[in-house]
Amino acid sequence: MSFLSGMFGGSSEPIEKEPSASAELFNSTTFRSNVQPSSSSSSSASSSSSSSIPQPPIDQPAVPTQTAPTALDAFGTAFDPARLHPLAGLSENLELLQLDEDKLNDIEGSASVLPSRGWTDDLCVGTGTTYLSGLLIGGMWGAKEGLSRPLGNNPSMKLRINSILNGCTRRGSFTGNSLGVLAIFYNLANSSLDSIRGRHDTYNVLGAAALSGAIFKSTAGVRPALVGASIMTAAAGAWSAFKNTV
Amino acid sequence: MSHGDHSRDPCPYVILNDFGGAFAMGAIGGGIWHGIKGARNSPRGERFVGSMSAIKARAPVLGGNFGVWGGLFSTFDCAVKGYRQKEDPWNAIISGFLTGGSLALRAGPRSAFGSAVGCGILLGVFEGVGVLMNRMFAQPIPQMQLPEQAPASPSPAVA
Repeated sequence: MSFLSGMFGGSSEPIEKEPSASAELFNSTTFRSNVQPSSSSSSSASSSSSSSIPQPPIDQPAVPTQTAPTALDAFGTAFDPARLHPLAGLSENLELLQLDEDKLNDIEGSASVLPSRGWTDDLCVGTGTTYLSGLLIGGMWGAKEGLSRPLGNNPSMKLRINSILNGCTRRGSFTGNSLGVLAIFYNLANSSLDSIRGRHDTYNVLGAAALSGAIFKSTAGVRPALVGASIMTAAAGAWSAFKNTV
Repeated sequence: MSHGDHSRDPCPYVILNDFGGAFAMGAIGGGIWHGIKGARNSPRGERFVGSMSAIKARAPVLGGNFGVWGGLFSTFDCAVKGYRQKEDPWNAIISGFLTGGSLALRAGPRSAFGSAVGCGILLGVFEGVGVLMNRMFAQPIPQMQLPEQAPASPSPAVA
């Protein structure tokens, strides 16, 4: 917030009146967006005409409500470029400091469980979810392996725990790393396809899955790459069908 | 800073984000690093193969190390925030201490404590540098309203 005020104060320096500069700036912009200058001039003309022709009960309440915008609007149009310029220059930098709902991903059809703020967010959350689930699954696999490993006759508790932990770290890290790398490939391909095609649908998911599976197995040869691509496509298709039915 | 961080998800979900971000950073950075290293360490003519095998062998492991560290740190950070109901540099220091300790837990309590203290000090240095930078760049704000100090405004944006 301190950076925000600093940047704001630094770039709004063409305005001479310092203390009320920001308040007037926001007022002028909101009034400009709401009320067009043509309508305000016509309303002022109509108010002058209504003062000559007596129609009090209809026009009199309309005149005071319109006078405040017209006065500020006429005042704002005189200073208009100088006032609007700092905000116009800041519009990209402001989002960096406070991006809530308006900076969300706007590619159509890409709404998911968590709101996303673009492809880096997708990448992080998708990779994190996949990596964590891979760690959990691999950890359970390793724990089962460590539980059932023969340790000679009459093994102590410490030895058994050590075996379980060894299994967890071996299988868990292997599964988590593989799935995490796969998820990185998938999310990169998915976001690239999204931005290329401009929307997000099932074909995109399937294409990204095929691409990531092929890349993941690409060093093993052509046949494993094709097998990997088809496995990933099938998995992504099953997931999409599951998501559509739910 | 006073309102927390609106650019990130609320606390339980940010753990996933940090896990993934740290893993991706480690894996991609490790891919670049070990790609160059593997290519330099292989004989001429086999540079690409050596680079590829180095990437395949080491980049996911580095990503996993980064990811576990970042995810554990984020988990502890959320837990500490929830327990203390505050946001200040001590959160990061405490969670760095806990992260270092729990990652070295299997090597024994002495080693775990040493690693925890090391991680806590590292995070303390990071947070101290952050606080110092913040203070350094936050100081000239009352004077930044003057028109002469306009070039001072881009530097906080970079930091």
